[in-house]
Amino acid sequence: MEAGTLRNPVLRARRNLTDRIGDPLLRGLSGLAAALAAAVILGIVYEVTQLAWPAIQEFGLGFITTNDWNPVTKRFGAAPFLYGTVVTSFIALALAAPLSVAISIYLTELAPRRIRRPVATLIDMLAAIPTVILGLWGILVLGPFMRDTIQPALHGVLGFLPIFDGDPSAFSYLTAALILTIMATPIITSVIREVFETVPGDLKEASYALGATRWEMVRQVVLPYSRPGIVGGSILGLGRAIGEAIAVAQVIGGATLINASLFHTGGTLAAHIASQFQNSAGLQKASLAYLGVILLAFAVLVNVVARIIVQRGRIKDVDSGDLDLSAAATQAQPS
Amino acid sequence: MSADPHTLLLDRGNLERRRRVNRAVEAVSIAAAVLAVAVLVIVVGSVFLKGVDALSWHFLTTPTALFGEAGGGISNAIIGSAIIVGIAAAMAIPVGILVAIHTTEFAPPQISHPVRFVLDILNGVPTIITGIFVFGLMVEGDKQSAFAASVALAIVMLPIVARTAQEVLALVPGSLKEAAHALGIARWRMTVRITIPTAAGGLITGSLLAVARVAGETAPIILLSSIVGQGNLTDPGEALASIPYFIFQASESPKPEAHTEAWAAALVLIAFVLALNVVARAFYARSRNRMGA
Amino acid sequence: MSKRLLSVLVAALALAVALAACGGSSDGSGSTGSSAGGGSEEAGAPLVGAGSTLVAPLMSKWQSDFSSKSEITVTYGAIGSGGGIEQITSRTVDFGASDAPLSEEQFEEADAQGEVEQIPWALSGTVPAYNVKGAPKDLKLNGDVISGIYLGTITSWDDPAIAKLNPGASLPSTKITPVYRSDGSGDTYAFTNYLSTVSPEFKSKVGTSTQVKFPTGVGAEKNDGVAAAIGQTDGAIGYVGLAYAVSNELAMPLVENAAGAFPEPGVKSVEAAATAVEDIGPNNEISLADLPSTAKGAYPISTYTYVIVPLETEKAAEMKKFIEYAITEGQSYGTDLDFAPLPKQVIAADEEAIAKIGS
Repeated sequence: MEAGTLRNPVLRARRNLTDRIGDPLLRGLSGLAAALAAAVILGIVYEVTQLAWPAIQEFGLGFITTNDWNPVTKRFGAAPFLYGTVVTSFIALALAAPLSVAISIYLTELAPRRIRRPVATLIDMLAAIPTVILGLWGILVLGPFMRDTIQPALHGVLGFLPIFDGDPSAFSYLTAALILTIMATPIITSVIREVFETVPGDLKEASYALGATRWEMVRQVVLPYSRPGIVGGSILGLGRAIGEAIAVAQVIGGATLINASLFHTGGTLAAHIASQFQNSAGLQKASLAYLGVILLAFAVLVNVVARIIVQRGRIKDVDSGDLDLSAAATQAQPS
Repeated sequence: MSADPHTLLLDRGNLERRRRVNRAVEAVSIAAAVLAVAVLVIVVGSVFLKGVDALSWHFLTTPTALFGEAGGGISNAIIGSAIIVGIAAAMAIPVGILVAIHTTEFAPPQISHPVRFVLDILNGVPTIITGIFVFGLMVEGDKQSAFAASVALAIVMLPIVARTAQEVLALVPGSLKEAAHALGIARWRMTVRITIPTAAGGLITGSLLAVARVAGETAPIILLSSIVGQGNLTDPGEALASIPYFIFQASESPKPEAHTEAWAAALVLIAFVLALNVVARAFYARSRNRMGA
Repeated sequence: MSKRLLSVLVAALALAVALAACGGSSDGSGSTGSSAGGGSEEAGAPLVGAGSTLVAPLMSKWQSDFSSKSEITVTYGAIGSGGGIEQITSRTVDFGASDAPLSEEQFEEADAQGEVEQIPWALSGTVPAYNVKGAPKDLKLNGDVISGIYLGTITSWDDPAIAKLNPGASLPSTKITPVYRSDGSGDTYAFTNYLSTVSPEFKSKVGTSTQVKFPTGVGAEKNDGVAAAIGQTDGAIGYVGLAYAVSNELAMPLVENAAGAFPEPGVKSVEAAATAVEDIGPNNEISLADLPSTAKGAYPISTYTYVIVPLETEKAAEMKKFIEYAITEGQSYGTDLDFAPLPKQVIAADEEAIAKIGS
């Protein structure tokens, strides 16, 4: 609709001064705000790249595959942290995605109507827990539990696998991956649940009419229908895990080497930057900013892909006519 | 609804197995939901049980003690967090709502789609990177300040406020806007006096959720407001203490007393965040009725 | 009414923009906004510093005592020596504190915005504290053993090399977990300086710096983090500032010095080390890693800790007062906190250095 300009010259002449100023003013101000948002994102990319420039010049693209971080010889590389980020995030994804599907099945198919809302809200609350508190819990509760119970058990049963070989440690890839799982699950669940709820009832009824059990109906109707949502939601959760800095920094132990054992200490892109940035100067600081460039590219890419997939999945549905307050909408930002 | 239609089933002999698989999957789903809720209860429960002992009026009203000394509290962190988050909200909420107004009221699709895309990108930026950005912009060459931390938090809040505002503004019934236009009401007047008040509930909800989100932000604070002075400082031009940073530091300490203080501060923070979340959602649920009209 | 609402919106936005503009511009001086702080103008500008965690316990005492005596508030962030060097180099703080002296390269970078100098203002030591169930108190260790542990060649507490130094002691077979500083640390500098001096293998494999790449072990941040990691892990050994080992009641080993003796780590043995090294290097750098073999009671991993301050600073008067306080009155708090008093020749050199500030 045209912005309030009236075609009728009589009516237009009668518009008072306030209106004549007000319309363009609001349009201008709000446009300025929109431009500001765009300026911020450009500013972020520019600033981080600029800080990273000395390292980019020094190491080039080889930085990404260099498996070293040595402040004495001044040789820095992203490989140990890329490894840590990938390992912890993908383990979190592998655990959180099936878990989220299961939870969503419960919430949409199995739960008594009265408790659906409360339980869904409780799971959204999990996403609202500040990361530093999850990290605190990780250091003082989960970590020791991993070291004293879980890791020895895994080592005892599956110790022949390199990933479970090694001495138990409270600070480890595994502890970090579990914390990330806790963070990602509510986000993935909220997306999948929303998509599950839009599966047309008649498709489900038809399946039941043909004699399917509940699980068979879900497998044949709900899951295929919801595939974009499941994939998109999972990638959204992955994006959260990739960018998570604080809780991971608290529980992963700050190592700068690659290690096959999940019980070992390690580092991720975000966590390493968070713990080292203030301390470093010169080439080391630029290298940390370079890690930031890689992290930014990775996280933004994943997040955008996720949202595209989820939006595409949504177009099929009727407009929910409601405000999306789910974890996916409000808590997906990695911190 | 759909009862188990075994009256229609063809007995192929594998019904029992299919039923067993079904029951197994159902059990797994219930277990998954229970697990998720259990984790929430365990984490929040731990915070409560371990922190409630140290929580006292003294703890809440005394500033952090000097290094190595006992008997301090978190009053400076509470004040600092309030100032940092308050200034961030004052910046992000108006700007976020304005962005939403622009994309829903004024912008043609060529503008509103890129803007939505930009907000999506902003939402995916890890907050440590936002911290580095503001560090390079405001702290390098100058000094740390609570205001710099506020700017970083405002950037984090912006996409959340803008996105929820966009959704709410889009839900305002077209009939209201049509009526306004038919009466010759200027667009700005309609937006300010009709659209926004109608959407007010959702706008407030989105803002409260954004505040709850950044109240616990730590990464930018480490870079922007971590070297803080003693006592209950209030100048935003200086670095101020904050609750998340207090928890972060205390969590890495070897002393059990520090851990207890960390739990207590975590209890304060989690209570605040969860309360805001609950209030925001409940508020929206009640004000939804107005929109349906 | 609606006009008012609109103008309120505009005003709020304008206010936000204005705040951003005035907060973001750096006028070159470091004291913007200090006028809104608590003290009156005659009280003197507040000093902001950051760095070494080793000196943090003593600094804490200095802060409260100095501010009550002089009305100058000192704010300090214990973020590690590496952080202190970085912050003073970019002039985000008024002074940096580091146990590691600046290298030539670091001086160059710091001097880019104006010459800086480093002044030793406290004296303590770094201790390889350990937490091993069943191990004796006062376990004897030497440089070779400690480097072996940190290089990963000695992996359990009942290793023959350790047994040889402790004849008759019963040592458990627990695995050794070496703990190191993952952040930029003056303690790392002191520790690796010592190990590089006594072990050529360590020197070539790891080297000396505030941040090194250890081939094995667990990383933790700041002295607090290392102390926490040691306390939580059976079999752990980690290097921490003397004050931290004492206040956390961690077991401290007896480390062999160049004279072949095993002095008890503490104020006395640190003092003995300082007395044994009279020469003050360029830029007031003093290394206590290479002690003469005549110093029987000297603790081999002692270290000075420095304040790094720019010569050109708006807060020259306050800075001079503070450093002067630290090396004279401030030293009296040292003994209780496991800091040895500065030797006379160091105080004299410091006075000369202080005089240069603001000139």
